[in-house]
Amino acid sequence: MTFNLTNIMVQFSKENLDKVEKIIQRYPEGKQKSALLPVLHLAQEQFTWLSSETMDYVASLLQLEPIEVYEVATFYSMYHLEPVGKHVFEVCQTGPCMVRGCDDIIDYIGEKLNIKPGETTSDGMFTLKLVECLGACGYAPMMQMGKHYKEFLTREKIDSIIEDCRAKSN
Amino acid sequence: MGRKLLLDKEHVEGIRYFDTYRREGGYRSVEKALKTMSPDEITEEVKKSGLRGRGGAGFPTGMKWSFLAKPEGVPRHLVVNADESEPGTFKDRYLMEFIPHILIEGIIVSSFALGSNNSYIYIRGEYAWIVDILEQAIAEAHNNGFLGKNILGSGFDCDIHVQRGAGAYICGEETALLESLEGKRGNPRIKPPFPAVKGAWGRPTVVNNVESIAAIVPIINEGGDEYAKIGMGRSTGTKLISACGNINKPGVYEIDMTISVEEFIYGDEWCGGIANGKRLKACIPGGSSVPILPANLLLKTAKGEQRIMNYESLSDGGFQTGTMMGSGGFIVMDEDQCIVKHTYTLARFYHHESCGQCSPCREGTIWLDKLLHKLEYGHGKASDIDLLWNIQKNIEGNTICPLGDAAAWPVAAAIRHFRDEFEWHVTNAQESQVRNFGLAHYADALETVAG
Repeated sequence: MTFNLTNIMVQFSKENLDKVEKIIQRYPEGKQKSALLPVLHLAQEQFTWLSSETMDYVASLLQLEPIEVYEVATFYSMYHLEPVGKHVFEVCQTGPCMVRGCDDIIDYIGEKLNIKPGETTSDGMFTLKLVECLGACGYAPMMQMGKHYKEFLTREKIDSIIEDCRAKSN
Repeated sequence: MGRKLLLDKEHVEGIRYFDTYRREGGYRSVEKALKTMSPDEITEEVKKSGLRGRGGAGFPTGMKWSFLAKPEGVPRHLVVNADESEPGTFKDRYLMEFIPHILIEGIIVSSFALGSNNSYIYIRGEYAWIVDILEQAIAEAHNNGFLGKNILGSGFDCDIHVQRGAGAYICGEETALLESLEGKRGNPRIKPPFPAVKGAWGRPTVVNNVESIAAIVPIINEGGDEYAKIGMGRSTGTKLISACGNINKPGVYEIDMTISVEEFIYGDEWCGGIANGKRLKACIPGGSSVPILPANLLLKTAKGEQRIMNYESLSDGGFQTGTMMGSGGFIVMDEDQCIVKHTYTLARFYHHESCGQCSPCREGTIWLDKLLHKLEYGHGKASDIDLLWNIQKNIEGNTICPLGDAAAWPVAAAIRHFRDEFEWHVTNAQESQVRNFGLAHYADALETVAG
């Protein structure tokens, strides 16, 4: 298929464009809208969050109306619709994590980074988000960090995770 | 104790990879099915096995398959529901992460039975690293001739595609899942038409849970009758239980549905007892939406019989004194846990996850969330408890999909069995902030574990 990309500033890398082509082939012909969720994931990986410009770009790529992209991007909780820090801590707060002490972990991260849930540190390094059940109830308390889970969290583990993040960006 | 059919090789090193899995007897069911059986014969074996859907509803899988419409010239699809999101449930994740090939093997056999040349795994978006594991397993199966064109010379073509969700509990509901697969918001569809007639892209579709599809492998290898001999009554075969909460050994266990709840909680082979020497207070045995039971009703039914870890026994007594097997998400709470607070986190969860399509659920879950927040944080009134009851009653049964019921049931059961704890939160607003009410409904850890 050909992509109409005039007047749009955001642009997928060549690698991601190839991935988009491959994703579309998973579905019946003419059903490229099915690629929307995976392509939004790709967009978030490359651009870190989904601006309206990015969503418009995805719409043009998949030959959709922009509203079809907005309504999906706003429905699913994994898409960041505002800029986020370099490292996003998504801490689970649902019942099974609660009984294993997630409240203490959430408070500790907040104190240590001096931010409230939903906020980003002023240096743009960390965002703290509270999320609902991530399917790691037996390994609670836990949080998602990018593609992976951090499980059986303790204050000490939080310390070392934060140190690691800081060390990597130095 | 007990037979394992899905996790029997879980400790074999390298079982995640094709070569080891194959050496351990993997993909035999594909050979047997594609070389010696017709699609109808496979469906017949699944019916005989008595396998009930392992996602939570417990609908017989073979019967679901037999409803699939087969109009001439219209492609059909198998979609595997890996959108595991019910709080307390993490069994499918375990299976996919450590033994991905059993799912791939089950999909190939099931796709052959259903006539699906393109099958999909819809996996929750947060399980991002498992997508890589599944895609690697699919590539290995391809390279070894178990996927692609003309599998094992049978003339059957099959490809498997992994679709990642993006954070929405509702997409575990099969029609919401199909909407999401089509690139839309996860709003459940009105049924009928059922997916078996009009599913993905308007084509006949079967949606099955990961564990159900994995169970097809032993069913074909050993035969439906053999599978049905395991277990008890209409609870045939084995079930994966993901155990969590205040227990010594949280994790995923495969049980044969004949052991008692007591053995499961206190036995060293499973949960290993309540952590830190505490006493058992309550348990939600089938994922957050099934009714919570206080310890006394959990271990024994209202009739005084020992409760067994199976569909019939767990639901013995209906919602008055029983609960449900659900998804097998087994959440255990010790004496220090506050039922009001726990119920509040679940109400907040369902409020967050309501798709907003039906007013009773959209508005009702907000109210449940707010009222429970009030009660938990010491601002509640006695009338709020009745109001909560009233609201959950008005959600239940009045929505397109079962999310409404799933939001109502935990609140109803918590009030039914722990009303005194809610009242205590009203009359002891200050103290309820620092200490849990916990005087009634206890069962001490039993001295001996039967069996």
